Amino acid sequence: MPQTTIYVAPRLAGTLGTIPPAVATVELARLFGRSAALAGISLTVEMGRTVALLGPNGAGKTTLLRILATAIRPSYGSLSIDGIDALADPELVRGRAVYLSHATAHYDDLTAEENPRFAATMFGWGAAEGLPVVREALATVDLEAVAAQRVRTFSAGMRKRLALARILVARPSLLLLDEPHASLDGEGMALVDRLIGLWKDAGVTIVVASHQAERVASLADATVRLESGLVAEVGGAGVSTAPVGASPRPRAAVAMVDR
Amino acid sequence: MNALRRDLSVAIAIARKDALSELRGRQAAGSTIFFAAIVLLLFGFALGPDSRRLAEAAPGLLWLAIVFGGLLTMARLHQLEADDGAFEQLALYPVDRRAIYAGKALAGAAAMLVLGGLLLPVVAILYAIPVGAAWLPLLAAVVLGAIGFAAIGTAYAGLTVRMRAREVMLPLLMLPIVAPLLLAAVKATVAALGGDPLGELGSWLQLLVAFDVIMLVVGAGTYGFLLED
Repeated sequence: MPQTTIYVAPRLAGTLGTIPPAVATVELARLFGRSAALAGISLTVEMGRTVALLGPNGAGKTTLLRILATAIRPSYGSLSIDGIDALADPELVRGRAVYLSHATAHYDDLTAEENPRFAATMFGWGAAEGLPVVREALATVDLEAVAAQRVRTFSAGMRKRLALARILVARPSLLLLDEPHASLDGEGMALVDRLIGLWKDAGVTIVVASHQAERVASLADATVRLESGLVAEVGGAGVSTAPVGASPRPRAAVAMVDR
Repeated sequence: MNALRRDLSVAIAIARKDALSELRGRQAAGSTIFFAAIVLLLFGFALGPDSRRLAEAAPGLLWLAIVFGGLLTMARLHQLEADDGAFEQLALYPVDRRAIYAGKALAGAAAMLVLGGLLLPVVAILYAIPVGAAWLPLLAAVVLGAIGFAAIGTAYAGLTVRMRAREVMLPLLMLPIVAPLLLAAVKATVAALGGDPLGELGSWLQLLVAFDVIMLVVGAGTYGFLLED
C-alpha cells in the first residue's frame, strides 16, 4: 500500500481559546424557483467529527453540502464554518472546506497528472513543492500508471479516483463528500473508506452524504437524516440540531417551512 | 506583493490549461479558423468580383470574421469548464475571482490573437491587399482588438455558460457591446492600410486602448458574481 500524506488546514481558535464548531447552521433554507430544497436546517457539528448525511432522493443532501461548500448561497439562514461567517467571508471558507461533488470536474484534454497539478496550483502549492504532492496522491488512488493519459479516455470510476486525488492535494479542515462511493468498484470503495479513516485520524471534519447507509454509518461518529429539506433524525456523538422555529428567523422562511 | 504573485500564478495556470486544451482539441480550434475563413470567402462572393470594392470593404470584413470566429472561441473556452462541472470547482478554489477572470481572459486574448493573425493573410490574399508596409499598426490594431474582445467575451461567456440557450444568448448579449470595439478596430485598420493620410490612426488606437481598459476593469469586477450560482 503506498504511503499517503494527509494535508490539513491549521485549526482556528475561537474567542477566548474555545474551539468553534466545524459547522454551525441556523435555519438554513434554499429555494429553487418556488420549491424549497432546504426548509430550515439548524445543525452543529463539532470539529473532527465524521457525520453521515442520509435520506432519500430529493431530501436536500446535495443542496446542504453545496451550501456548506459555499458553491451556492442559502435563501435564508446563517452559516459558519470553523467559526468563520461563510456568507460574509466565503473566500476564507474555501481554503478550508473542500467539496467532492457528483461531477468530477476534470478537464478532458489534460492528463491525469495535469489535472491535479492544476488543482495544486489553485490550492496554493508552489510549482516545485506541488509535484511530489500530486505524484503521491496519484499513487494513493492507484492512477500512477495512467498519469500521462488524457482524462477523456477514463472510465467513470477512474474519474472518481482522480477527483479523490484532487482532494488529497487540498488542505481541508472540513471535507464535504457527496456520494463518494458512487461509480466505484469494490476496490475503489475500500479506498474511499481508507481515505476517510486517514482524514478522520488527521482531525478533519467530514460530512458524507450517501445512500449506502450501513457503509457510511460504520465510518461515522454520527448520522443525520434529512427528509424533504428538514432534519428528521440525529444520532451519535458531536452533532446537534435545533427544531424549526427555535430561533428567530425571517417571516418568509416561516411561511415557506409551514407550507 | 505575495498576494499579487499568487494571483499571477493562478491566472497563468488557468490560461495554460486552456491553451493546452485548445491545442489538444485541435479539431475545434481548427474548424473555428476555417469557419472564419469561409465567412470571408462568402463575403467576397456576396460583394461581387469588383476588386476595388472588395479592397475597400476588406477591413470591415476582416473584423466581422474575427468577431464571428471569436464568438465561437469564447463560447468554447467556457464550454470546457462546463463539460464535467469544472466551473463550479473553479469557483470553489480559494483564489481571488479576479485572478480567475484574468486567466480566462488571457487565454481568450491569445486565442483571438491567433485567429486574427491567421485571418489577416487570408484577407490579404483573397482581396489582394498589400499589408506588408502597414504591418506594425495592423498588428497593434489586431492585438488591441483581441484583448478588448476577450475582455468582454470572457465576462459574457461566463454569464451564458449555464444558460440553456447559450449558443444564441452569447452573440445576442455580446454583439451590441462589441460595436464600438468593431468600429474603432475597423477604422484603425483602414487608416493603417491607407497610409494614414489624415493622421487619425493614433486616435483610433487610443480609443481601442481605452475600450480595453474599461472592459477589463468591468470584467474583473463582475466575473466573481457570475461564478456564484
